This record gives sequence, C-alpha cells and structure tokens, in this order.
Amino acid sequence: MALQGQEEIEEQIEEPEDFQEQDVSISPAEELPNGPGDEDSDPVLLPWDRFSAWLHCICVVGFDLELGQAVEVIYPHHSKLTEKEKTSICYLSFPDSNSGCLGDTQFCFRFRQASGRKSSLACFLDHFDRDAPVCLKRDQGHYYGYVYFRQVRDKSLKRGYFQKSLVLISKLPYVTFFHSLLKLIAPEYFEKQEPCLEAACNDIDRWSTPYPGKILTLPIMGVVMKVRIPACYDKPGTSQLVQASQNDALVSIVLPTIHEVDLFRCFCPVFFHIQMLWELVLLGEALVVMAPSPAESSDTVLALVSCISPLRYCSDFRPYFTIHDSEFKEYTTRTQAPPSVILGVTNPFFAKTLQHWPHIIRIGDMKQAGEMAKQMKVKKLKNLKTLDSKPGVYSAYKPFLSRDEEIIKQLQKGVQQKRPSAAQNAILRRYFLELTQSFIIPLERYVASLMPLQKSISPWKSPPQLRPFCQEEFMKSLEKAGPQLTSRLKGDWIGLYRHFLRCPNFDGWFRNRRKEMTQKLEALHLEALCDEDLKLRIQRHTEVEIVDLVLKLKDKLTQAEREQLPVRAGTLAKLQSHIESVILSLPEDLQGILYKPATP
Amino acid sequence: MALRELKVCLLGDTGVGKSSIVWRFVEDSFDPNINPTIGASFMTKTVQYQNELHKFLIWDTAGQERFRALAPMYYRGSAAAIIVYDITKEESFQTLKNWVKELRQHGPPNIVVAIAGNKCDLSDAREVSEKDAKDYADSIHAIFVEASAKNAININEVFIAISQRIPVVDCGGGAAGKGFKLRRQPSETRRTCC
Repeated sequence: MALQGQEEIEEQIEEPEDFQEQDVSISPAEELPNGPGDEDSDPVLLPWDRFSAWLHCICVVGFDLELGQAVEVIYPHHSKLTEKEKTSICYLSFPDSNSGCLGDTQFCFRFRQASGRKSSLACFLDHFDRDAPVCLKRDQGHYYGYVYFRQVRDKSLKRGYFQKSLVLISKLPYVTFFHSLLKLIAPEYFEKQEPCLEAACNDIDRWSTPYPGKILTLPIMGVVMKVRIPACYDKPGTSQLVQASQNDALVSIVLPTIHEVDLFRCFCPVFFHIQMLWELVLLGEALVVMAPSPAESSDTVLALVSCISPLRYCSDFRPYFTIHDSEFKEYTTRTQAPPSVILGVTNPFFAKTLQHWPHIIRIGDMKQAGEMAKQMKVKKLKNLKTLDSKPGVYSAYKPFLSRDEEIIKQLQKGVQQKRPSAAQNAILRRYFLELTQSFIIPLERYVASLMPLQKSISPWKSPPQLRPFCQEEFMKSLEKAGPQLTSRLKGDWIGLYRHFLRCPNFDGWFRNRRKEMTQKLEALHLEALCDEDLKLRIQRHTEVEIVDLVLKLKDKLTQAEREQLPVRAGTLAKLQSHIESVILSLPEDLQGILYKPATP
Repeated sequence: MALRELKVCLLGDTGVGKSSIVWRFVEDSFDPNINPTIGASFMTKTVQYQNELHKFLIWDTAGQERFRALAPMYYRGSAAAIIVYDITKEESFQTLKNWVKELRQHGPPNIVVAIAGNKCDLSDAREVSEKDAKDYADSIHAIFVEASAKNAININEVFIAISQRIPVVDCGGGAAGKGFKLRRQPSETRRTCC
C-alpha cells in the first residue's frame, strides 16, 4: 500500500547536462579515454590506471588434485599480490566442502591487505572518493573479493567435477555492481577462456573512473552498463537509478543501485529480530552468522553492515570467513573477549569454535522471499551446540529500545498480500534509515554546536579550535532535542547512546566529523584572509615579516589544494594573486627567490 | 525527439579496416598505424534520422582469430552488423561470407546487414570486383558500399543506410524518452511526540 504513490513521487530528473548534450549534439566518442567524464583527472592516465581505479586484479582459482585450491591466472599479469594474499584468495574463493553448491554461486569475501603498500596511484584514486558517501569510500586496509563459482559434473575430469571461481579483487564496496559485472563476464569466461578475460580487462581499462554523482556508461563484453555512484550530497534514499523505458538487456543494462543488498530477503529468516540486530550492529557487538552457503553468509553480513547506513560500520567484517583465514586465531581465541567484528561462516566447525560468542545468527536454507521465520523468541545461547541447531538468533542481549510492532505488521501484511520483494525491501530500508537518522540527528546537532562562532575567526590568528566532545553535555542535550523528536520508539535511548559512545562506530563517525569541521574552519579562515587588504597591511611591516607572511600564505595554499578544503569558488585564485602582489612589493632579488615554486 | 539506442557491430578479417571505419565515422579522423583491437572497442555516435535520434552503440570487434569465439557477445542484440572486407584481399571477402553464414545461424533474426568493401582508394591493387560483391550483397538483401576510411568515402552513408532500414517504432505511448529517473522512496509523514 505504502508504495502505491511511488509512480507519482518519482521525479523525472534530467540527465546531467554534459550527458544530454552529447546525445543531442551528435558528439563523438563520449566514452573515449580522457572524455568529459574526468574533468578532475588532469594527470595523464597510463595504461591500466583506469582498470586499477575499479579493480586490483581478476583471479581464476581452480582445484588441482595435488595442490588443492590454487590461483591459476592473475589478470592483468603485472598485478601484485603477496603470497599471503594469494593464499587468502584461494581459500576464500571456494565454498566449504560441505556446502555442496552445485551449479553457479555468487558470493563475496573481504580480507586484510598486506601492509606497507600504497602507490602514488592509490593516493590519486583516493581523491575520487572525496564526494562518495562514507559507506562507499575505498576500503583502506582491506580488499573485497567478488566470486563467481561454478561447480558442474564433468566425467572427463579426474575429480569428476569442474570447479572454478572467477574472482574480482577490488577496494570498492560496490557489491551489487560487481556481482552484475561477474554475471556478464564469468559465464563467458568459463566457455571461452583467456581471450575473454583479455577483452573484459581491456573494456574496463577504457571506463571512466568511478566518479560519484555521475551517470557512468560502462561498456563491457557487448553490453553497456549504466550506473550512478551515489554522492555524499544525495538526499538519503534518493540515489536509485531507474530507467524510464524497458531496454534490451543484450544492448544495455541500467543498474538501479551499485551497493544495496536486498535487506528483506536477507533478514527474512530472522525477521522478528531486525531491530535488535540493528542495535547489535550499531554498538559494534561481536556477531557471527552461521549459514549453509557462502552466498547466504555474505549476503546476510552485508545486509547487517548496511542496516545502519548512512553510518559507516567501522569494525572489521567478513562476509565469508573460513578456518584458513589469516585472522582465524586472532578472532576465535578464548583468552580475550570476542572482538568487535561480524563474521559470516559456513563451516560447522565454527559452531564449536565460536560457542562462546555473545550473539549468533543461524540461518537455514534461504527460503523464498515470501516465507517468513516463525520463531519469535530469541534463543538462549546454551541451546546452541551443534550444526543441527535450529535457525534463529541466539543471544542473551536485552535490547535498549522497545520493539516496533508496526514495521513487523506492515511487512507481514505485505507477505500476505504478496507485495513484491522489491517493495518490501524498500519499506525495510526506509525503516532502518529513519531509525538510524533518529539516532544520529541529536549527535549531529550536538557536534555542530562544538563549532566556534564565525566571529571568533580572525585572519591574523590561527583558526580557532573545536570545543571537545563532552559526554555529559551531550546527554543533557538529549532532554530537549533527543530522538523522541523523530522516532516514536520508546525505551532506554540514553543507555543506547552511552554504549554507542564507547564503540568503534562512534569513534569512526566522530573522527570523520571532526576532520570535516576542522577543514571547514581552515576554509573559513582562508576566506577571511583573502578578504583582507594585504597591501595595506604590509606597509606597516618589515621585510622579514613580509617574507614570513608570503611563506605562510604559500603553505596555506598548498594545504588547501592538497586537502581540497571546502572554500568558496575563486578563493584560491584570489589568494594566489594576493601572494603575487605582495611579492611584487618586495625588492627584486627577493622576488626571484619567492617566485620559485615551493619544493614539495 | 525520441532517442533510440541501436547496437551495431563490425565484423570481418583482421586488418580490413573496421576500426578505421569507426574512427572516421565517430571522430572524422584517420590514423594509418592503429594497433590491432583487443576483444572489441566501443564507441558511440548519435545522429538524427527523421523524427528520431539514433544513438549508435558501436562494437568494433577484433579481427584476430583468437578473439573469434567472442563474436556472439557483440552481435547478440545488435540491430545491425557491418561486415567489412578489403577490396585488395580476396581472402577477406571469403571470410565475409562465413560471417554472413554465422549471423544467419546464430545472429538476431531481424539484423540489418551492411557489407562494406574498404580501401577503395587502392583500386590499383583490387582483387574483389565491385560487381561480384554487389551481386552477392543483393542476393542476401544486404546494404552494399565500397568505402574508404582513409579518404572518407561512403562512411557516413553506411550508417545512414542502416538508419533507413531500422524498423520504425511506434512511440505513441509518449513515454519513449530514455531519460533516467532518480527514484525518491516515498517518505512517510513523520510522527512527532509533541
């Protein structure tokens, strides 16, 4: 019911201007390298740079009777992976032997990047991230592996089965996008082998870089994919791309989203506990998902991580984790409290190894999206002993907030009325979004109040500092401007905040905010400086002081450029001309020295 | 004006000038020393045809044998195929006939086929007579041109001829525009406690 109005609400947004212009003005080659998609990327891109902006490499993992799982091919051949990374990829690219995935399976994993490798290209790529929402930025310490696994009976092989995975390794968390991409590449690869990979990589190396906020046209193996990477300035819930008319999938495909998983389908087996799960994820509690296959474990883990969006989940999470993982010991040790991580596992061995974990989600075979879990109660942990244990949530956790019965009823009604899964997913996504926003708005408001007053910014003093975050002060602000303003949910919000302020998700969120606000202060300071009459000021100063001023201004300018400070348009140019006019007022010998470009 | 996306693929022996034809059409330029294509390269160009805009999504396939098996990905869903041969190489005309056969068997049923004899500026070295080629093209109801990517002869003409043969769609529905919509998820009215 709630979705009936969707058609009217849908907003016909014009295609971005450059895009449209090209269509109308018979302009050539819009998808060519150095095309209009990259007005920001002034540096010349070398071969494979574009590819690297999307993928680290493509691996083929096969099964060798003597060696076991092995990386057979890495493409492009020059890509670097350490032995440890290769081992991780090998184990993580195959389902555990007991999963018995016959046919084609898709899933994803995430593993730690071996340390100490940051190329200049990586720094350059990070800059595309500036406008990406926090949840979609490149992952700094990890790689994602997106897997397309095929297992079919083949009597001609000694093992009796053909088993192979095509794996995309990337730092980008665009799960839906990469799974769609794999659906196009992998089946062709399994039939046509290496020329197919060569062609695919060549296509990808001609793509425009993943720039947030733009509609990108990405040709791949005879099909054109159209996607839009959300930008941080999108209004929450508005970033889906929809094509007005039906298209031939052999010609072009429009992906509505690059990263959103089907929350409703993923949470179906534990449907009654969604709100409790939201709290557990929000608070960064140790959580393990035990599922029958890597597809289900990775979907569920990604759904969990994304349910607190637009907040970023800051702890480690592993959509598919195996006993061979390099962090296996670290994460399963009993000598310490379970770490703040979310693991997805399929190996029954974990039922024993992780018995001491506080929160365990067991899912059985994913049912059709319509069927819903009947189990209402959270189960006692001591009842979880073996793999045979029933699906459900096992935890001793007592939620801070009282349960929202309305969302449960609304979704149940949807099931009875056979509401399409996409609509159910949209309802659930909106529910989580509103819940998270109700929770985060008071924090945003309080943190905004830590900003010094504009009038305290003086061009001739260093920029003022942010006031420190004071927990008690924040708690006090909740009395008047708490989540009760936007959420009907009752319960112990205060307790929830207290816990949250101690967890990594708060830390990550606050760090990010503080950085943004500090940059904003720097920017305001810079603007104030530009509005000053420098010529007038230097008249009253000695030569030494003026040289000092020039050097300081130059520093400011470099900093502003490097950190891409959010200054008003034209500020930097204005500062540059200020610097030049100040230099011109100095004796000639000094002019020559100061004009030299600053050494980096 | 309605915009239609038309997938077009170029097929033919290696070195006959498929990429040069596309470069001439899209960029209006010619480079005698381009590298062999890997897999396929992709370009687009939009032209007006009567009341419609035809956006050609051009897949320029590799002619090299090792990429031969990939061809179906490119002619699948194509509205038109331009099969290119080199008028100075008899062998390339034989390859062309194999492509026609393959398209018959495995290509889309209504695909518009155009045959382009490239390098007509080199008529001194001609090995394929224009008449033979034209007769063959007529026998399979294909568009036929002799062209030169180098001298810009008959390049735009092939694409115009393709536009003419593309069946007109009934766009009376009004919603034929291929704009994108950003979906705003319906927002519930917020409940507040006060």
